[in-house]
Amino acid sequence: MRARIGLRGKEFALTAVRGMERIAGSDELLEGCRQGSLPSFERLYEEHGARMKSIARNLLGSVPEAEDAVQDAFLKVYRGLGRFRGGSSFSTWVYRILVNVCYDRLRSRRRSIERPMPARIALAPAGEMDHPLRLSIEAALSHLEERERAAFLLCEVEGFSHKEASEILEVSEGSSRALLFKARRRLQEQLRAGGAFETSEAS
Amino acid sequence: MKTSCHRLEEALGSEDPRLLAAAEEHARTCEDCRRELSEWNALRAAAPSLRKSWESPPLWPRIEQALREESRKASSASSAAAGASTASAAPSGAAPRSALRWLPIAAMVALFSIATAGLWVFRNSGGREPLTNGWQTTQRPLLTDQAVDEVDAAEKTYVASIEKLSRLAEPRLAGAASPMMANYKEKLQLLDSTIADLKTSIDQNRYNTHLRKELIAMYQEKQRTLQSLMKEVKS
Repeated sequence: MRARIGLRGKEFALTAVRGMERIAGSDELLEGCRQGSLPSFERLYEEHGARMKSIARNLLGSVPEAEDAVQDAFLKVYRGLGRFRGGSSFSTWVYRILVNVCYDRLRSRRRSIERPMPARIALAPAGEMDHPLRLSIEAALSHLEERERAAFLLCEVEGFSHKEASEILEVSEGSSRALLFKARRRLQEQLRAGGAFETSEAS
Repeated sequence: MKTSCHRLEEALGSEDPRLLAAAEEHARTCEDCRRELSEWNALRAAAPSLRKSWESPPLWPRIEQALREESRKASSASSAAAGASTASAAPSGAAPRSALRWLPIAAMVALFSIATAGLWVFRNSGGREPLTNGWQTTQRPLLTDQAVDEVDAAEKTYVASIEKLSRLAEPRLAGAASPMMANYKEKLQLLDSTIADLKTSIDQNRYNTHLRKELIAMYQEKQRTLQSLMKEVKS
C-alpha cells in the first residue's frame, strides 16, 4: 500500500503514510480527510461506502448511477471539507452530500429526455434478505415525494436514527418524524390499493 | 372506541413504546385497528429487505483516481494563484508589467494555433469519424477493437444463459394473475425495453464503456429478477 501510494501520487504520499498509522477515531478520520490523506478517504469508503451505495441505488434505481453518485459525493466531500464546521457529525454530513447529489441527478434526469432508466424501476439483489413485500414497496416508493422517500430509506431501510436523518435531510427531528410517518402512510395506502398485503399474507 | 382508534394514529406517529403497547392492546378488540397495525408492522418488517448490497471492486480505485486528479488540479490552481500574487506583489518594476501586457496577445496566438491544429486534424481525418483514423486511434480513451470483440463474446454467452432462464419463466408470466406476477412482468418489460435502448446506443458507439456497463447491469438485474420470480413460483 505504502509503495503503491508513494509511487502513484506525490500529492498524497506523505500525509497518506502518516495518516494510515494515526487514524483511530472519527476526529482523526475528519482530520485526515481535511489534510487530503488518501487512506483516510479509503477508510471513509470502507466504513460508509456500502451504505452510501445502497442509499444511492434506492434513490436512483440503477447500479452504475449509484456508483457515479458515490464518486461525486466523495469529490464534493473533498472539495467542501474546508467549509465543514462540525454542526453535525462528519459521517452524517457525508450522507447529506450524497443525498443532495442523488437529488441533483434525479432533477437532471427529469429534465433530460434521453435517460433510459425511469425512476420507478426497482432494482434489488434479494438474497436471503428477500421479503414478499419488497418488490411492491420498491414500486410504491416512486410515488412518494423526494424527502419522504429519503426519510423512509434512511430510517426504515438503513437504520439511521431520527437525529441522524434530520441532520442528513437538514430538517428538525420533528420534521424527520413527520416525513417518515407520511412516507409510511402513503406506502401503506399504495400497497393496500395494489393488494400487496393480501399477497404477502398468502405467501 | 373512537378515542382509542385515534390513539393508534398517535402511537404510530410518535413511535413511543408505551403508546404502541396500549395501541396493540386496543387492537385486540378492534378489527380495523388490528388490520391497520398488522399492515404497519408488515411494512416495517419488510423495509430492511430493500437494503442493497453488491460488490464493486473497481469503485474505490475510480474514486481514488478522481481524488488524485482533483488534488492535482487544486495544487496547480493554487500554484498559479501564488504565481499571480507574486507578480502583483512585486515592486512596481517594468519587467512584470510588460510581461502582463503581452498576456492577452499570447492567449490569442495560442487560441489561433489550437483552432488551426483542430481544423487540420478534422480535415485530414475525413471530417466525420476522426477517431477511426491514423494516430488518433491510439489516443482513443475508450475500448480497443480487440477488447470490444472479447466483451461481445462474453456478453453473448451471458445473454444466452439469461434467455434460457427467461424462456423458463415465460409460461409463469403469460397469465400474470396476481399483483406480484404483474409486478414482475412489468419490471421485466421495462428492463427489456431499457436493454433494447442501450443496445441501439451501443450499436452507434461500440467503444462506449459506460453504456456497456449499464447494459451489463441491466442484464444482471434481469437475471436477479428472473431468479427471484422462479423462487416465488416455487414457494
